[in-house]
Amino acid sequence: MDEEMVRRVARVARLELTDEEAGTFAADLEDILAAFAVLDEAPATEGFGFNPVPVEDRLREDEVVPYPDPARLRQEMRAKDDWVRGPRLT
Amino acid sequence: MIANTLPEAVRRAAEEYGAFVERLEDPLAYEEGCAFHFSAKDNLCAVGFQARAGSRVLDGYRPPFDATAVERLRQAGGLLVGKTAMDEFGFGTFSTNSAHGVPRNPFDRERACGGSSGGAAAAAALLEGHLALGVSTGGSISCPAAFCGVVGLTPTYGRVSRWGLIDYGNSLDKVGLLSADPALIRQYLPIIAGPDPRDPTSQAQPPLDLGGEVGSVAVPEEALAGLSGEVRGSFDDALAALEGMGIEVRRVAMPSLRFALPAYYVLATSEASTNLARYCGMRFGDINEHTDQSFNDFFAQTRSRDFGREAKRRVLLGTFTRMVGFRDRYYTKALQVRQLVIREYARVFRDADVVLTPTMPFVAPRLEEVGRMRPLEMYQADFLTVPPNLAGLPHISMPCGYPGGLPVGMQAVAPHWAEGRLLALADRWGAGFAYRRPEVRA
Repeated sequence: MDEEMVRRVARVARLELTDEEAGTFAADLEDILAAFAVLDEAPATEGFGFNPVPVEDRLREDEVVPYPDPARLRQEMRAKDDWVRGPRLT
Repeated sequence: MIANTLPEAVRRAAEEYGAFVERLEDPLAYEEGCAFHFSAKDNLCAVGFQARAGSRVLDGYRPPFDATAVERLRQAGGLLVGKTAMDEFGFGTFSTNSAHGVPRNPFDRERACGGSSGGAAAAAALLEGHLALGVSTGGSISCPAAFCGVVGLTPTYGRVSRWGLIDYGNSLDKVGLLSADPALIRQYLPIIAGPDPRDPTSQAQPPLDLGGEVGSVAVPEEALAGLSGEVRGSFDDALAALEGMGIEVRRVAMPSLRFALPAYYVLATSEASTNLARYCGMRFGDINEHTDQSFNDFFAQTRSRDFGREAKRRVLLGTFTRMVGFRDRYYTKALQVRQLVIREYARVFRDADVVLTPTMPFVAPRLEEVGRMRPLEMYQADFLTVPPNLAGLPHISMPCGYPGGLPVGMQAVAPHWAEGRLLALADRWGAGFAYRRPEVRA
């Protein structure tokens, strides 16, 4: 883990780092990953789940239910004339 | 009924100890009839309050709905008195990583409350008859419960709906309860537990059974290395006291526990780094008005400005461990380790009713000591609370000693869905051990 790798990861994560941050995080992550190398010694298991207990999907019929108060959501987004604002796509 | 001293007690918990980031201020609001009072960690949504989860990126966000746990407690007659302080998104062990202030330990204001539900534990310690909703991903209920001298129950993964919770790690997050009075936890766990169609992980649970007995405890030798002298002393005394109550203490080996900490941090940060992708400055909280920028610059600007240092560190770690070339070594391996740890607990539960360890390896540290710790040292402080959280197992922390006047906690872990066993142990322990309340100066 070095500053160059930290900057590469930061680009993927949509984070802009100052020089000070890049240096500090490189040292921190180096320290952390060195300790985590013990994972290499853990035996592999056959199969694994993404949840610690079995989770079952229970499906129901789709039902259209209008959101009770869309104005509240537009207010949170500070919509202008009911338009949600965002950055340029180009 | 609510005592008329409650509004003043809540004000002091907020202003003198930083337990609350937002509270019910209007004295009239306390006068409406209610059966009990409770608080919610600031990552649980509740109408009438902001939900900021300790993050600047959510400043100003006022959710238009209640989280299921909040809704159920209100329906049971509870008065929500405020939102409690926490590490940003739950990222911390001492509640010091927050944009909204650091809570102070009720037993010593110069010391940390623990984290990440630090404000919840402080409120539970300071307010008489209070029930605090906390959330644990890797130990965020047990740790502050131990440092603040209260009882903290983390239910089985899936027992309590997470609807309305601001996610940290989806395969790890659990909503639970803290209180100085374990009878309140016994009373209100059934209210917040149970299936909720809005959280699929809550749908497969068996009914909550509050029966259960504890005749034996297993103490893993791996848990006893690296403890401070005062924690070791209190824990040894507690084991002797348990034996005196007729509970058998078995010494066991659990070698897989050493893999739990890195596996947990890999999974938790991987999941967190994807969950935090939603904070883009467009939809809620701190809205980015600079819409003339390009897509990537716009998102990066909001996130870089608003996320705290630990949040950035965890996003970087979690993004790295999921990246092509590193995923198998870290993320996939961590998922396998989780199975290994679950199986190891299952083996121990064949011969013992619960697994018992101290909760934290040391008593609440001074805030200045926390400021000097390296990130890895902070993570390593979680080595006792992480294993049951990784495995989704229910666990409870309860006070077991007060060396130098500071609380020490012990943590019992039960099989999936066996919360009743933990409450039985807490009842039995509480009948023979005197819990202390902090001396709050008048």
